[in-house]
Amino acid sequence: MKRLWLPGGFVAAILLIALLAPLLDLPNPIRQDIARRLSGPIPGSPLGRDEFGRDVLSRLIWGARTSLGVAFASALIAGAIGTMIGLVGGWFRGIGELLTVRLVDVILCFPPILLALLVVTLLGPGAATLILVLSVLYVPGFARVAYAEVLSARSNDYVEAVRALGAPTGRILLRTVLPNIAGPVLVQFSLAVAAAVVVESGLSFLGLGVVPPAPSWGLMIRGARATMEQAPLMLLWPCAALTLTILAMNLLCDALRDWVDPRTPARRPRLRLVDRLLPGLLPPAEPKPETVLDVSGLTVEIETPLGAIKPVEDVSLSVRAGETVALVGESGSGKSLTATAVMGLLPPAARPAAGAAWFGDRDLLRLSEPELRRLRGGAVAMVFQDPMSSLNPVHRAGDQVAEAIRAHQEVSVADAKARALDLFRRVGIADPERRLNAYPHELSGGMRQRVMIAMALANRPRLLIADEPTTALDVTVQAQILDLLAELKRETGTALIFITHSLAVVAEIADRVTVMYAGQVVEQGPVAQVFGTPLHPYTRALLGAVHESDAAPVGIPGVVPQPHAFPTGCRFAPRCAHAIAACSAAPPPLEEAAEGRLVRCIRWTDLAGAKAA
Amino acid sequence: MSAPLIEATGLSKTFTSRGVFKRGRAVQAVRQVDVALAGGEAVGVVGESGSGKSTLGRLMLGLLPATEGTVRFDGRTLDKIPRAEWRTLRRRMQIVFQDPYGSLDPRRRVGAQIADGLAIHGLVPAGEQGRRVGELLTMVGLDPLQAKRFPHEFSGGQRQRVGIARALATSPDFLVADEPVSSLDVSIQAQILQLLGELRRDLKLALLFISHDLPVVRHLCDRVVVMYLGRVMEEGPAERVFAEPAHPYTRALISATPRLDPGKRTKRILLPGDPPSPSDPPSGCVFRTRCAHAIEACAGAVPALRAFGEARRVACIRAEEIA
Repeated sequence: MKRLWLPGGFVAAILLIALLAPLLDLPNPIRQDIARRLSGPIPGSPLGRDEFGRDVLSRLIWGARTSLGVAFASALIAGAIGTMIGLVGGWFRGIGELLTVRLVDVILCFPPILLALLVVTLLGPGAATLILVLSVLYVPGFARVAYAEVLSARSNDYVEAVRALGAPTGRILLRTVLPNIAGPVLVQFSLAVAAAVVVESGLSFLGLGVVPPAPSWGLMIRGARATMEQAPLMLLWPCAALTLTILAMNLLCDALRDWVDPRTPARRPRLRLVDRLLPGLLPPAEPKPETVLDVSGLTVEIETPLGAIKPVEDVSLSVRAGETVALVGESGSGKSLTATAVMGLLPPAARPAAGAAWFGDRDLLRLSEPELRRLRGGAVAMVFQDPMSSLNPVHRAGDQVAEAIRAHQEVSVADAKARALDLFRRVGIADPERRLNAYPHELSGGMRQRVMIAMALANRPRLLIADEPTTALDVTVQAQILDLLAELKRETGTALIFITHSLAVVAEIADRVTVMYAGQVVEQGPVAQVFGTPLHPYTRALLGAVHESDAAPVGIPGVVPQPHAFPTGCRFAPRCAHAIAACSAAPPPLEEAAEGRLVRCIRWTDLAGAKAA
Repeated sequence: MSAPLIEATGLSKTFTSRGVFKRGRAVQAVRQVDVALAGGEAVGVVGESGSGKSTLGRLMLGLLPATEGTVRFDGRTLDKIPRAEWRTLRRRMQIVFQDPYGSLDPRRRVGAQIADGLAIHGLVPAGEQGRRVGELLTMVGLDPLQAKRFPHEFSGGQRQRVGIARALATSPDFLVADEPVSSLDVSIQAQILQLLGELRRDLKLALLFISHDLPVVRHLCDRVVVMYLGRVMEEGPAERVFAEPAHPYTRALISATPRLDPGKRTKRILLPGDPPSPSDPPSGCVFRTRCAHAIEACAGAVPALRAFGEARRVACIRAEEIA
């Protein structure tokens, strides 16, 4: 709303001045006074007088009436007709499309100036003719924009929903589709007005538009051009008026588009220079040699307009060779952010604020970007959820795997290809010779995920991080991929961090599990123990929500809190059935409940006792 | 079973892509499907992507025209109903979508979207719409004051509740829920499923629940229909089908579902390869290319969906042998 004031006020002022021209005490814009021809600013004529001694300010304001009138009228007419044509064409398709959008496309075949010349010759010059010509010229633009937007809007479920409600077509088009295509149409409107002002000036300049002596900005430029050398300022005024009006229109339409869209734009947080230069200003920690990866006290901080938030706080986990550790939690628990922090792939706004991630004797959080790049895809590899967007669509699958090999090892192209073929066979891709030359879109979802895994394994990684690698897949394909990962892990001894929100998948694949909630570890331990006798109420609630036993699944009331609104005490307390006053008083510590088992709950002993009794 | 509220007979849908230079390819999304729902009954449709389960839901709502076959709703054939009457009939059949982000109009307040159905069908006088919207919001567990908010101010689970409120506004008899929980977190899934179960009981809704999640279907539905590549493989009471699956595909599907409890895990039946393309399905039984029990006869004729035990049907010529 705030952004609307400035450009809105500016355009309103321009329009108001133009509309109020008759009320302002201006000299007659067409009365000539040859004696004061081309005079500079004089009393009564602050901008001077033109080649016929007419008052420039008065002509500028009266000219705005003509120029803007023509521009707005033609853009409005073209906008109304064009949008309607686009709506009808996009909604009905088929014959409707042919009769509307395609027919209008014919106009695009004529050069605009030629069309204008033709109409002006037939109808004679004048403001009305100009409006007609310009409207016709701009209809196809609106029609095309509206048409394209309708096509994308009509495939949305909410349009289907209104259809399912039995809404008549007119209501769907006006109430549902039109508001959703309004943004681009408004932008098109601003472009059309701006272009119309220019074309009006151009045609008037050529003598085909507004008829002299009536004032218009185009005519003023035309007149001033002849006397450019004697009075250069005469040229400046109409040009400045033209430029300012168009700029203001563009700004206004941008602001309007944002205003029509109720979604607030995500503001990009600023990145401090010191974070760019010195990403590793963190307290040092000691390496632990027995694990492949040892994350300790990892905290990720993001600067937001609401202040710094910590979507990941004090997360520690470790994984040994040949071991699978699952990271599980609801969306917003910070599990993916933890992994991206370890990989050095945090979004620019986020930075690791504390902790360490020891990979052998190197702390991944403190490595420079070139060093990280050497590790990524080499000793540390990652598999993502959506294989379609993680594979490059314009390169063949085999070439992408070969490229991954050559990025880390000095081998010939032919050798890399041969290795890629081996990998394809290894991950169970049927007909691997042919699939090497396939493009990603030619492969099924499961096959693409296999290619991603082949790529991740290409350089025999010691650590593989898989972020929801089976979430987008069907269950039978998921079973194939889980088996494949388990088999590869057995063969190669790769340490695997498996991020998922599915507890059942964790039970199938993982040795140990880390349960995260609202950026913190709430429970950690061997899978069989954690799922068999969960200590934290959140783990218990999560397990209770799964459809497995004969008891009906029970949901957890409420949602995961946003990072800027984390409760001060236990973060799960507001949703916890066992919360007492002490839970909200202070943040609970992560306690060691048994050998290798951690829990963050002050009541875990009470609750375990109550359950046993 | 009493006379069905909605009944699809021999339903088929073929999508043809036309090209100027390429020969058109026909994708047979749904083939020869019979489904019937009695009033208040919940039927689950289970299958993987490409099985045609979503298309089936839209065909049964009349949102897509069927290529072959008929849908009868309350004794009347859908495509024979005059336009004006059709509109009033729409009131009685509604849909809840999978994606809670795409299914609400981002530019309108949720109250206005829920009120749409009321306004279109003139169910409630304009002055009382606000009150009714408030009731509906309360019914799905939201605060009536939230009617003034825009969809982006809600979480995924809350949006799904709004979607359900919108569908219930017209007091439908038949509700299609197209994967209503698959994009939600498990804790929220359980909330929504609880809600759907309660609403079904309280409002006597006939529910067609489309899902790829077998345990969810088992909990919510009376009967289940298992689809593969547009055809029904197996049909029967949900408990029985999951306890003793008759069709090899159902077995594979159940064995592939990850289980929390290691004791309940069965030996996984891994299906080799990928599902065939629906534009070029195998001859005979569509599942035979990935079936461990396939014999020569499977490639011959399309196996009929035949009676198998009590209240069950299966489309496999070897069902008895395998069992």
